[in-house]
Amino acid sequence: MRTHLKLRICLVLGCLVVFSLISFRTAGTPADTDVAIVVNSANPVSNLTLSELRKIYFGDRQYWKGNLPVLVLMRSRGAHEREVVLRVVFEMTEERYTKYWVAKVMRAEVSDPPASLYSFGMLQEGVRGNPGAIGYVNVNDVRPGIKILRIDGLLPGESGYPLR
Amino acid sequence: MYRMWGRLALVLLLPMSAAAQSASTNEREQEMQEMRARIEKLEKLVAELQKEKESKNGVATGPVGSEPLPPPSTPAAPAAQPEGTVASMDHSGGQGANAAERKFPALHFRGFGDVDFAATDDKTTHSGFNMGQFILHISSPLSEKVSVFGETSFTAQTTPTATVYNVDVERLLIRYDYNDFFKLSFGRYHTPINYWNTAFHHGLWLQTTIARPEMIRFGGRFQPVHFVGMQAEGNIPSGPLGLGYTAGLGNGRSGNIARPGDGGDVNNNRAWFANLFARPAALNGLQVGGALYGDLASPSPALTGNPQFRELIMSAHVVWTKETPEFLAEFAHVRHRNTVTQQEFNSSSAYAQVAYRLPGVARKWKPYYRFEWSNINPSDPLFSVGAAFQPAPVVNDLTGSTVGVRYDITNFAAFKGEYRHTARRATDPVVNGFFLQTCFTF
Repeated sequence: MRTHLKLRICLVLGCLVVFSLISFRTAGTPADTDVAIVVNSANPVSNLTLSELRKIYFGDRQYWKGNLPVLVLMRSRGAHEREVVLRVVFEMTEERYTKYWVAKVMRAEVSDPPASLYSFGMLQEGVRGNPGAIGYVNVNDVRPGIKILRIDGLLPGESGYPLR
Repeated sequence: MYRMWGRLALVLLLPMSAAAQSASTNEREQEMQEMRARIEKLEKLVAELQKEKESKNGVATGPVGSEPLPPPSTPAAPAAQPEGTVASMDHSGGQGANAAERKFPALHFRGFGDVDFAATDDKTTHSGFNMGQFILHISSPLSEKVSVFGETSFTAQTTPTATVYNVDVERLLIRYDYNDFFKLSFGRYHTPINYWNTAFHHGLWLQTTIARPEMIRFGGRFQPVHFVGMQAEGNIPSGPLGLGYTAGLGNGRSGNIARPGDGGDVNNNRAWFANLFARPAALNGLQVGGALYGDLASPSPALTGNPQFRELIMSAHVVWTKETPEFLAEFAHVRHRNTVTQQEFNSSSAYAQVAYRLPGVARKWKPYYRFEWSNINPSDPLFSVGAAFQPAPVVNDLTGSTVGVRYDITNFAAFKGEYRHTARRATDPVVNGFFLQTCFTF
């Protein structure tokens, strides 16, 4: 009876080890999955707190200092970076996000929802071409000509960076 | 023995299924990488074509180095791509910039609609289907700082001879944004002294329940639903408190106090309101606020003795807008003072609603419960006189419960079913009802 019990425990532990190994192998390193918040290089802002970032993405803060209108850019549905931003910044599902913007426009707080762009290339061009734009991109895909913002004083890849 | 083999098989299958899952994740990752590579390739191709076109037209193509470089303070872009790729990005015709650019003027439409069924044990009403409101909402940015918003409703109304659709301009306003702290608008609004009134408007798809709370029902008298005039709004610099305000001046209630003064005020006294709210940064989803509203109500046709009434409304709300759970609670106190006799009439109303979006496979379902309560002064002429303010119903005491469930068919359409138990004055019968609704936006 005792041998059976030990065998079962060993098997369960074995399974857990296998699961852990598989998860570790597929998860990737944090720096690979970090999402960088990017703005136009002319934008004087270089650091935002997560709550300030939320206010911008929620459409509650619509102007940079100096009254430059904020242009919020999103990636299209299905992009990993969008999933991270929805989870960490919005704390919403896709369904909730859709509803949030329908309600926001309906309340006359904004006149249109953020533009969704199909590729990270388009998004970065959008940021480069619009002085007030803010967007996000996988840290490995960032090109020169746009500025990565620190979030809560941290850059992508640093320990404790929230957007991953 | 068979049990033992069964368990062993299960134990072996678990890691295998996990491995299969991992394989599918890897496949997906690979697919993503392939797609990224294809996009890069396409972007390169577009850049080359652009370059070719420009050289044919004799336009000099700027060198890679002409692109503005990040300022020294800018953190270096990690894992920057080879220059060729950068060049292709630089000269791909600015498709992203164009796609992201806002166009002025632009026109955005959204529609809302609903179809309802009601059956109650109230002997004065009939059970059956009815068309809800058909709402057309437009928003139009005229420039980066000026926007126009409009909302029109088509509501089915049965007269003794026919069924007609009543067309109403629910909202029409133009807003000038100076900055986040000051935005000024003019037009017709939903009076922002009640959270529900401004959060859900006429879009029934937006609200969890079938009906609005009694305190802010359409065509009701307890609180003014619409307001015509001007409004200032904005954030208040308050750091993590996330304070905001709305303040306005306008015509207030019309002669029929259920209506606003669209065509002009009925007296020389402007109505005013001030609303202060907080959305604390630490509690994403929480909003707490309060509002004041003042007006001079001049009922028409005039009541006996031709009295006017000084009105003061105080309201407060606490809402948690996330869906797991969702919580809404509001309170409003209305005071009317007869300017001839100085007699005061005080009435209050409140509701609390809780809902919960179920997890996992049941996430399309959202059960809810609402409790409503109203304590109305029966002597208040503005609430108790029936004939003068038709079709707005008399405002009565209320104790009611609503239990229901919402099922989201898609992202843009839902079914709702609810049971309501409503008790009014001691002399009135208790009413139980069953209601169904399908509502949608498009």
